[in-house]
Amino acid sequence: MSSIKNERSYKAQKLLDRMGQKLTRQMVGSLTACVHCGMCTDSCHYVLANPGDPTFAPAYKADRIRKLFKNHYDWTGKVFPKWVKAGSIFTDEELHELKDIVFGKCTNCRRCTINCPMGVDLATFNRMARGLLCYVGIMPEGVEYVAKEQWEIGNQMGVLKEDYIETIEWQEEELQSEMEDPTAKIPIDKPDSNIVYVINPREIKHDPRSVLDAAKIFYVAGEDYTMPSEGWDMTNFGLFNGDDELGGAVAGRVYDKVEELRGKKLVISECGHGYRSTRCEGPNWAKKDIAFEAESSVITMLRYIKQGKIKVDKTKNPGSYTFHDSCNNARSCGLTEEPRELLSLVVEDFREMYPNRAENYCCTGGGGAMSMAEYRPSRLKSAKIKADQLAATGTKTVVTSCHNCVDGLTDLIGHYKLGMDVTQLVNLVANALVVDDIVEENKKKYAEKEEVGAQ
Amino acid sequence: MSNLLHFSEHTLQEVALVLMATVYFLRIRWFMKWPLGKERQPATGLGDTNPKKGERYSLANVAMPWAMESTRLKPLMYIQFVVFHLGVVAAIALSFIIPYGPGLLESSAFVSVIQVLTGAAFIVGVMRIIRRISNPYIRAISSPDDHFSLILLTSWFAFAFLAAPNDISGGEGIMLTYFFLTAFFLIYVPFSKISHYLYYPFTRTYLGRTFGRRGVFPIRRKPAYQMSK
Repeated sequence: MSSIKNERSYKAQKLLDRMGQKLTRQMVGSLTACVHCGMCTDSCHYVLANPGDPTFAPAYKADRIRKLFKNHYDWTGKVFPKWVKAGSIFTDEELHELKDIVFGKCTNCRRCTINCPMGVDLATFNRMARGLLCYVGIMPEGVEYVAKEQWEIGNQMGVLKEDYIETIEWQEEELQSEMEDPTAKIPIDKPDSNIVYVINPREIKHDPRSVLDAAKIFYVAGEDYTMPSEGWDMTNFGLFNGDDELGGAVAGRVYDKVEELRGKKLVISECGHGYRSTRCEGPNWAKKDIAFEAESSVITMLRYIKQGKIKVDKTKNPGSYTFHDSCNNARSCGLTEEPRELLSLVVEDFREMYPNRAENYCCTGGGGAMSMAEYRPSRLKSAKIKADQLAATGTKTVVTSCHNCVDGLTDLIGHYKLGMDVTQLVNLVANALVVDDIVEENKKKYAEKEEVGAQ
Repeated sequence: MSNLLHFSEHTLQEVALVLMATVYFLRIRWFMKWPLGKERQPATGLGDTNPKKGERYSLANVAMPWAMESTRLKPLMYIQFVVFHLGVVAAIALSFIIPYGPGLLESSAFVSVIQVLTGAAFIVGVMRIIRRISNPYIRAISSPDDHFSLILLTSWFAFAFLAAPNDISGGEGIMLTYFFLTAFFLIYVPFSKISHYLYYPFTRTYLGRTFGRRGVFPIRRKPAYQMSK
């Protein structure tokens, strides 16, 4: 570590060298085009929750990265550094300060991006800055831990293959019990299926009910599907830590497995960053054009209802509901209408939250923030904006299509004592399923078989 | 007309324009050397948009104050933006009209239009200077270039306003200042943030292409679901 100014530390030099390799023309445009008009300021939930503190302003945060670009890669900064606020980075302490900005003061939600008159995409180069810091080993401990799990074990929660299979089998037994069908299956590694269904490890570790709910929907729809034994984690910490290599490796595992199983379609369970990583960014990181279709399970469920493959009864979901758009789903993947249409089919009382869709505010747990314990107080303070948004709906339950948002919203609802529940569409659709006839038929069928067997 | 004024209206402007074009050319060449990030993802969204539609929407954003929350909720800021940039167009046009089409300025109505545009832009410029100094958020992000560019443009509007009648009967001071300021402006612009318009087509096109492919642009805000029992 260097403490003498102008004598650059090894890590600082490495970061600056790496920057040149990571810059694309899109990023350079965003780094060059900002006119400091300040129109992005009020779009950021951190700014709104910290009035009077300009260090949270998107343009201010962007300038911490922009100054490095200007100083080392843009000739205006090389010629007139002070005039354009170009600057360099020398010490590891400065790298840690940058870390606190790019990880701790921004969730990469992209709300400032869609509010910038110049089309500056701060979130993209903020992610690049995260990647540069991770490259030199400077990142929040939680991010380092999760990324390591995803590199080494293959999923971000370190779920072992045995535990994964065991949980699926457990949910299969639950499915058999609920549907009164001892032959009901949650297939694993079944080749040539119509659908390969990939999930968030959180579903295995903390929310196996979601696996069962999805299985029930597939069962009732009569879908020919499978879950893979490997490459099943559709989440991707490469999106959060800015490591394209990790992003490509994780997405590549999923793609390779689908190809190995000769699956026709990849269906991604409800997870904002997982959907964006696997459906949108993955092919870019993995430098691979995928030859199969990929879609969100939200679209799959909606199609089942429209095609009459499943029947739902919205009276089974009483109460009032609002919908929270995950930033990654809405602002980066355009998944805004299908979840609303689906929700309106499975609940009676759905009330919009404002602003919504691509203009919605982040749950404040985005960008990997839930894994960065050191920034929790700041995160929860910024969550006041989301809390006010939720409270204004007057609903009892907030629905979202993202596991990360479930955790972020649950945390802020507890903190601000909103007394609301958080759920996902898969849970509501499964709950609204009209299955009585199927269950009765199964009961009869297997009772008759048992009788025949006994005779 | 003195030789100095003739020089400032013609040779000086032409040299400044050539310098500006040269630096712009170098700047674009530098920009285009950066590798273009490839988008491999299949299109997402409802299928009612595509990269081209996204690009068009993104580029037209400048004329759609309702499209972004930042301009929708701050109409005064948008009006300021329009007035300021119309002033730029008027002041630039004037620098060509005086030497090459002075007959246009014989119409008092035309002169009035130029003066209204540059005068209004001057007022907005002053408002922007005040905002840049007094607003803590804007002050914190401002560089010397931001301050200088704004002061330069605002002063230039003032002299464009005064030069619009193209009347040197009271002396050439105003005209000389306007043309020397214009020349300085032309030379300074490519090095300053004022050259942002050079990047605008690129940044907005790239963003629109990505967001069009991903079904985000054009941004939707309807229908509003409100289906209480």
